[in-house]
Amino acid sequence: MDGGRRRDRQSALTLVAEQRPDEGRALAFCGHCGRRPQRGFRAHARVCESCGLGLILRCSAQDAPPVDGAFLVLDARLRVCAVSRRAEQLLAVSETDVVDRHLSALLVPAEAQAASGESLAVAIVQAAGGDRVTRTAVVRPANTFGVRINARIASCGPRPAALIVLEL
Amino acid sequence: MRYLKTSEAAALLNVSPNTLRAWERRFGFPKPQRSPGKHRLFTHGEVAALRDALQEGLSISSAVSRAREGLAADTSSLIGALVSYERERADAAIEAALALRSVDRSVEEVLLPTLDEIARRYTLESAPWAFAAHWAADWLRRATRLAPPPVRPVSIVVGDASRDELDPDAPHIRAFELFCVRAGIKVLSLSARGVAGIGDAVALHRPNLIVVAGGYLPDDAVARWAYATRLAAGAMPIAVYRRTGQRTRVRSTGTSVLPPGAGEARQRLLELIDASQLARTLTDSPAAAGEADSDRPGMRSASF
Ligand SMILES: [Zn+2]
Repeated sequence: MDGGRRRDRQSALTLVAEQRPDEGRALAFCGHCGRRPQRGFRAHARVCESCGLGLILRCSAQDAPPVDGAFLVLDARLRVCAVSRRAEQLLAVSETDVVDRHLSALLVPAEAQAASGESLAVAIVQAAGGDRVTRTAVVRPANTFGVRINARIASCGPRPAALIVLEL
Repeated sequence: MRYLKTSEAAALLNVSPNTLRAWERRFGFPKPQRSPGKHRLFTHGEVAALRDALQEGLSISSAVSRAREGLAADTSSLIGALVSYERERADAAIEAALALRSVDRSVEEVLLPTLDEIARRYTLESAPWAFAAHWAADWLRRATRLAPPPVRPVSIVVGDASRDELDPDAPHIRAFELFCVRAGIKVLSLSARGVAGIGDAVALHRPNLIVVAGGYLPDDAVARWAYATRLAAGAMPIAVYRRTGQRTRVRSTGTSVLPPGAGEARQRLLELIDASQLARTLTDSPAAAGEADSDRPGMRSASF
């Protein structure tokens, strides 16, 4: 799943700055279902009108998760802030149970990348600090071996945070 | 204490009433109480705390967590005041809790957990516990005196079988009495040590139910009190509250065990009283009169 995009061979974590034409254009999405707010959505409303269970977050358009995608939001202390509905199913957790817990309770670097835990953490901290570089990593659920999931790490808001989209 | 109906709380949070009900199911917050007409009533403090947390939140779960943390700050400030032996600061801390919650929830979510925590940290033989237990007994008695007069045609006699106000069950018993009074029930609280003259007290009070609360007094002492009480009042339901340790000896069908939480215990008590009033209505009917008479020595089936 990792592909050949790995640039930094010393760190198994792939750190790729992706440049796309629409970079910088902000896009709003629900932190639970991933849906985009309807046109005419009240600008001051923060709660998703589709599912009612997520807050409206923003990121640059190329980083946005797919609708009903699996993704997480973390703060700079690697604490879980949001888990999408699809990620709840994938990781067999409930957001209400894991909110404020450390990332390592949910995701760790995949086996071949065990040494890259620090790099994964650094990537999240940088994204949570507002760094606009998009990075990728290969991770696995904390309680499951033999599963490798490509993850894309980018910055999101309104309060700066790291968005980890799990590419299934 | 300011309460909001579902529509008002939803408007403050800028969501629909259906969304608010979905949050209640998924997050357990904000947690409404029920009005006498069974409508949801939200405390303004909880809704306002959540509204503020949502502004900068990244998920509703994290906003709920922040709002709860803010509300939990009241417990830590009450603990701080009590272990510093500062009565006025403790009064202020519980007042701050009351600004965000109802009296019942301030007691259940702040006052009682504070006492449990002090007992756990410092032991029941400590000076902080002695101070905290005394302050709590005083505060709960004051709140009970300030409660509106009884409105239900329901009364209970509480036989207090705790040791004294330093007994860890004592604050829970005072809280249970407060909650009952606040629910409009007439409550006569007496030490279960006082047997002589109990018949007169019961005859004057005419209880619907007797509650034996606390686990300090032994079963035989409590049995003497309960027997004297029932001798005066006739067969009636008995419930036990926080009688840990003695609980296993209670086998009679005439005795119910109330849950340990004061709020849940009051709810169960009201259900028991409803059931016994219904039973009384049924046995008072001419068709059932014979059965009622034959059931009269029901005291024999009591555990005490
Ligand atoms: Zn949504």
